[in-house]
Amino acid sequence: MESLFPAGTLAALEAAGPVEVLVGIPTLNHARSVAGVLDGVGAGLTRRFAGQKVLALVVDSGSQDGTLEAVRAWQAGEPPLGAVQAVRLSGPSQRGRAIRAVLMAARHLNASACALVDGDLVSVTPEWVERLLRPILSGEADLVLPTYTRAASEGTLTTNLLAPLMAALYGRRIQQPVGGCLGLARSLVARLLEAEAWMGDLAIHGADLWMVTEALASGAPVVETHVGHRRVHPAPGPSDLATILVRVVGPLFSLMERYREAWERVRGSVPPPRAGSPSALLPPAEEAPAERMVRAFRMGLKDLLPVWEQIMPEETLSRLYPLGLLPAEEFRFPPPAWARVVSDFALAHHERRLPRDHLLRSLTPLYLGRVASFLGEARAASADRLPQILEEIGGAFEAEKEYLRARWR
Amino acid sequence: MRETWTDILANSFRGVVERLALVAPRLLALLALILLGWILAAVLRRLTLRLLAAADLDARCARWGLSAILRRGGIRDAPTALLGRLVFWIVLVMALLTGVEALEIPATAGLAAVIVRFLPNLVVAALVMVAGWLLANFLAQRTLIGAVNAQVAGAPLIAAAVRWLVLVFAGAAALTQLGIAREMVLLAFGIAFGGTVLALALAFGLGGKELAREILESRLRKQEEERDKLTHI
Repeated sequence: MESLFPAGTLAALEAAGPVEVLVGIPTLNHARSVAGVLDGVGAGLTRRFAGQKVLALVVDSGSQDGTLEAVRAWQAGEPPLGAVQAVRLSGPSQRGRAIRAVLMAARHLNASACALVDGDLVSVTPEWVERLLRPILSGEADLVLPTYTRAASEGTLTTNLLAPLMAALYGRRIQQPVGGCLGLARSLVARLLEAEAWMGDLAIHGADLWMVTEALASGAPVVETHVGHRRVHPAPGPSDLATILVRVVGPLFSLMERYREAWERVRGSVPPPRAGSPSALLPPAEEAPAERMVRAFRMGLKDLLPVWEQIMPEETLSRLYPLGLLPAEEFRFPPPAWARVVSDFALAHHERRLPRDHLLRSLTPLYLGRVASFLGEARAASADRLPQILEEIGGAFEAEKEYLRARWR
Repeated sequence: MRETWTDILANSFRGVVERLALVAPRLLALLALILLGWILAAVLRRLTLRLLAAADLDARCARWGLSAILRRGGIRDAPTALLGRLVFWIVLVMALLTGVEALEIPATAGLAAVIVRFLPNLVVAALVMVAGWLLANFLAQRTLIGAVNAQVAGAPLIAAAVRWLVLVFAGAAALTQLGIAREMVLLAFGIAFGGTVLALALAFGLGGKELAREILESRLRKQEEERDKLTHI
């Protein structure tokens, strides 16, 4: 712990503890949004956990935009919560280190429940804080994940890859594996801190996904809670799609190696217990750029074939060739073909058939094709049929699992 | 006159037979050495294959990621087969050199010694070429994927240009190492490299100024539009 926290921080933390509830806010260049997040978290802890010892802990992993100054300015105003501490970690600017520091603080202060709320999640409200923490305090769950009401054009990587693949692998149909906030029980915090994953590459970009996977693979009780609409204020910096795929899909594939024994024995999937009103998928925004995405898919099919031939067998590629001839308005990338593509990419990633960064970046045109198809289907469907579209994607990934299991060496 | 003609014929025939008698043992020695070398090479190749298979080299290379590196470089053979072939050719080339020495032809006298002296440079040059070839493939693939993702037209052409640029650079470095026409190689490479860069700069700066601006603007515009309408996580 001393190696993460700067000198003197521990003493300050100990002065605050022990606490019953701790909310950690990992930040990295979130000066524009952190005050809004603190408003929601502070009000939530004050109003919903009155009489209990609580603490909000901002852990900054090396912001250059004055995030900590923004926190101090917020504290100097009339904050709804006094028990707020801000820490700046020394060392490399990695989100995983900030998350680990929050968990270490939770263990150090013997917190019964700990929530993590991203520093860019500006839609957080007092109700969110309560919904993330109550199932932990009541002993219903070790992990609480959010569900959102979102348009089909929001979270397309989650709906088309992350959620269905994780459901097929680990047997629980969670909707938001990387939802920007979650609640953790003391026992899960202790188990996560014992793991050596913090030392590897996963800690750099895959810490969120790893925590959820560890809970699912270990059979820990998981509850989903509906919190409403999600709104983020992303930190400035490069966020091109290929890099997002490297940072999100890469850890997901790497975790398949780590948890191979767990996912190989799972058959089928069930939805986890859900609290609150059901989440809803809304029709996509009309102006989603489907035509450009189909063009990207076609260009990939034309120019990236030598790369894809190293990743996918001819059988998979032959399912893609006819898609390149479809006009943009009729473009459909069926879920079974998409699930096969993702399986082949996972296998190639495991076998290191080409540099992993290249492999994940070369998924971009295929993913854009799938998103164009998904948005087209969602736009053409009635509101009642939208959940069915998600079920079809999930079903396709479950059907593919045998293919994956048979070829994973 | 008739006797003279017969003598000439007999003498020339005798001469050929004498020369053949002188060369034939050496030729036979050459053929025998090649045959023996070939047999020895085949035996050693088989022995190497068995030893490496017993050591489970292919599986180990797969675990260490070496097989993947070879595949990425376009080599589909298993490492065991590759090493077996290497042993075969080394033994065969050594037998050939010994055979050529046995011919005792003035032109090839000391050839084996020269080649052995030259071997370290040859190995370094080969390593430079292998490294260059791996780097060329890596950078070309990286460029291709990046250009396709940015929806730049002619991505394969750009990737091929990158591959050849690196290969030419590696080739020039290897030739310099071998000491073959060092000045000429350096000069030719400098002119070719500088010329290419200048040509590209002129083409992009003069001919494609508007196009470049349009590409950059549309790219930035697209990113902004996409950010507004789509979220991935």
